[in-house]
Amino acid sequence: MSFFLESFVAACRLAWSLDPELLTIVRVSLSVSCLATAFAALVSIPAGFAIAHGRFPGKRIVITLLNTLLALPTVVIGLFVYVFISRRGIFGPLDLLYTQQAMIIGQFILVVPLITALTIAAISRVDERYRKTARTLGANAWQTALVVLREGRFGIAAAVISAFGRVISEIGISMMLGGNIKGFTRTMTTAMALEYDKGSFILAVALGLVLMALSLGINVLFNLIQGRSGR
Amino acid sequence: MILYCLERVTRRYNDRLVLDIDRLEIESGRIHALLGPNGAGKTTLLNILGFLETPTTGRMSFCGKPVETSRAALLHLRRQVVLVDQHPIMFTTTVCGNIEFGLKIRGMERKARMRVVDEALETVGLRQFKHARAHELSGGETQRLALARALALAPSVLLCDEPTASVDAENQAVIAALLQAINASKGTTILFTTHDRLQAAALAQETLVLEKGRLTATTYENSYACTVFPGQNGRLRCTLHDQVEIPCELTLPAGFSERNSRVYIAPEKITLSRSVDRQSNHGVTGTVLLLMAEGEHIRVVVNIGVLMVVLLDRASYRHERPAIGETVSLQFAADAVTLLDRPS
Repeated sequence: MSFFLESFVAACRLAWSLDPELLTIVRVSLSVSCLATAFAALVSIPAGFAIAHGRFPGKRIVITLLNTLLALPTVVIGLFVYVFISRRGIFGPLDLLYTQQAMIIGQFILVVPLITALTIAAISRVDERYRKTARTLGANAWQTALVVLREGRFGIAAAVISAFGRVISEIGISMMLGGNIKGFTRTMTTAMALEYDKGSFILAVALGLVLMALSLGINVLFNLIQGRSGR
Repeated sequence: MILYCLERVTRRYNDRLVLDIDRLEIESGRIHALLGPNGAGKTTLLNILGFLETPTTGRMSFCGKPVETSRAALLHLRRQVVLVDQHPIMFTTTVCGNIEFGLKIRGMERKARMRVVDEALETVGLRQFKHARAHELSGGETQRLALARALALAPSVLLCDEPTASVDAENQAVIAALLQAINASKGTTILFTTHDRLQAAALAQETLVLEKGRLTATTYENSYACTVFPGQNGRLRCTLHDQVEIPCELTLPAGFSERNSRVYIAPEKITLSRSVDRQSNHGVTGTVLLLMAEGEHIRVVVNIGVLMVVLLDRASYRHERPAIGETVSLQFAADAVTLLDRPS
């Protein structure tokens, strides 16, 4: 117990002192995860909206497939992307392996099904009368879609936040496609795994604290936005 | 001027026929009431008139021009007609934001928008709620806000789906007065649905009645579920709601057997008499529940096991002078009873 307490106190000091190595790791983690989530959101929110509102054969199959993909292990995605971007893969000449771009591609694939599925759920819950009201007040198809998106914004925001939480805490893709290169592709989770392997817990615990503080901060922000809107 | 003209319009949901209108003309600048029981197709008809749904078959014209079903054409038409739902939903923003919505998408400038918003709120008496959150309003206030949101757009036609069904008596009166004022001051054509025949009579200049998706010439009252079965001398007999048997003069079609149907009894073709002849086969007896003056007629509601409306002209009323609580007998004219489902 005292070992844990000592590690915890030392980790707090490290985080408080804004250790450059720790800051670099946090910066890499945040930039990779934010970009992966943003790109995924750009694709998944319109896709989720189209699937929720569209009437097409095989809609149920698409939704079932998306729900199945939610359980996809990160190492499977890592392996899958590795096949394409390794030297012998079709995208080998692009030299993507062990870069932040490779990690972003892997994390993008990880959260596209998540944001899409949660957007479908959020849009499906929006009362049908909003659509009808917007149309009778003279909105065109695009303006009507914006009304529905606006009314489902908290569900969609929750989807994006869940996706960010998923990518910032994943390790399989970062390790397999990023390679845990210090100062370049080392993220909080891969660094924590490495420090654990080395038996050095102080940086690992400090990173764990930062990860939890980030998660708490995002959720507090989300609740504040929800509260301000009166919901 | 004829605003809407519908010819042989039907609307089906999958295989279910919910609307089947042979011909309907709606005149502009008037208040029209659309009466009918639940499931009669009132909301479907409103959706079609609001260009929110297209008919499955049939022709429709608006302002003398055939209605095209292209997106652009329908959008242009929708910007002239606003439908206010029975349970209107407000966007998650302020009262002002809700009214502004339709004006914003029409590209109106902010200053002009604010002027229109203020006018609309003034009309419905909600000015003090301008910056309140729309979801915090009561049911009656929400209904008035929905009207303000529609009125701000100065539509040619205002369609209201049961505008007073879910509000208290005070708000009912406010909404009814508003509809009349809008029609009188701006010449807006108003069509509203209701179950309340009295409200329809009080507010509307024209009344339409829908029964099972069809326009009927009957007034919605005195329409009953019944069992019809062959009686003596080739006549049909009819039991209303399995309770009251009434004689009817309908002739028996060949091969007709007992069946469930709906029947309409014309209120003006019922004779009311205070002398009760319990032995008579030609009438039924009941108790007078309500007496009301209605134009040149007196409306008498009689409980004969079911509530039946009798319309007496003033001379007949003066002759009989029925009193509330009194037992009276009702006689039906030969053509008083109409089967709404034709026996097959």
